[in-house]
Amino acid sequence: MTDLADRRGAETQVYQPAEDTRLLAEAAVSEIEPPARVLDVGTGSGYVAATVADETGADVVGSDLNPYAVRQAADRGVPVVRSDLVSAFRDGAFDAVVFNPPYLPRDDDAAREDWMEVALSGGDDGRAVVEPFLDDVGRVLAPDGFALVLVSTLTGVDEVIEYAGERGFSAVAVREESFPFETLSVLKLWK
Amino acid sequence: MKEDLMDIVCCPLDKHDLELDVESREDDEVMSGTLTCTECGETYPIEDGIPNLLPPDMREDAPA
Repeated sequence: MTDLADRRGAETQVYQPAEDTRLLAEAAVSEIEPPARVLDVGTGSGYVAATVADETGADVVGSDLNPYAVRQAADRGVPVVRSDLVSAFRDGAFDAVVFNPPYLPRDDDAAREDWMEVALSGGDDGRAVVEPFLDDVGRVLAPDGFALVLVSTLTGVDEVIEYAGERGFSAVAVREESFPFETLSVLKLWK
Repeated sequence: MKEDLMDIVCCPLDKHDLELDVESREDDEVMSGTLTCTECGETYPIEDGIPNLLPPDMREDAPA
């Protein structure tokens, strides 16, 4: 692949920092106290991982399914692993795991078959990615570890809290911000 | 990738340890090589400094 193609891929195939990204980064910076080992799942451009590393001094690793995203995050200086959610990480490896999942309920009229669709779509109910994440994230958290997950009212905040609760997590919203069509919350989850 | 990443990664299939084989390095980064599961023997490539620990059936570069 040429450099030009790489750059085009980075522009069109990787979700770039937006309001949700910044809200999660802000929450992570205030919740994470080093020394801490942190995983940023679905790191995308690497913005959250790099911000947390720069502002807290924590040891942050990013993971993503998308080859263009891991490349872009690596170029930003974030250590990265191409992985499906947390599946490639060891039990108890992290003090904190942060995740801004694809959360928009699928719109069949607008659906595309590319990496941007993967970055945005949370399936029919918006929870198709956050639920498998919640199934497995407890495994990679250290005993006092926690997860920070961005959820939208479009995804169903109560439904996510209930699903996490069934997997043994307590939840509290540590950040909230309202926009014309949705309210974004960052949930802190711990066992 | 830096070698200290080995402390936190595992085989995505069975969660066992991985063994690192380095093909090339630049400074302190492993640029190419393989990670092999010490239990099931599945191998995972490291290309352009990035380990690809997707399960084999998800390794294609096409989305979804």
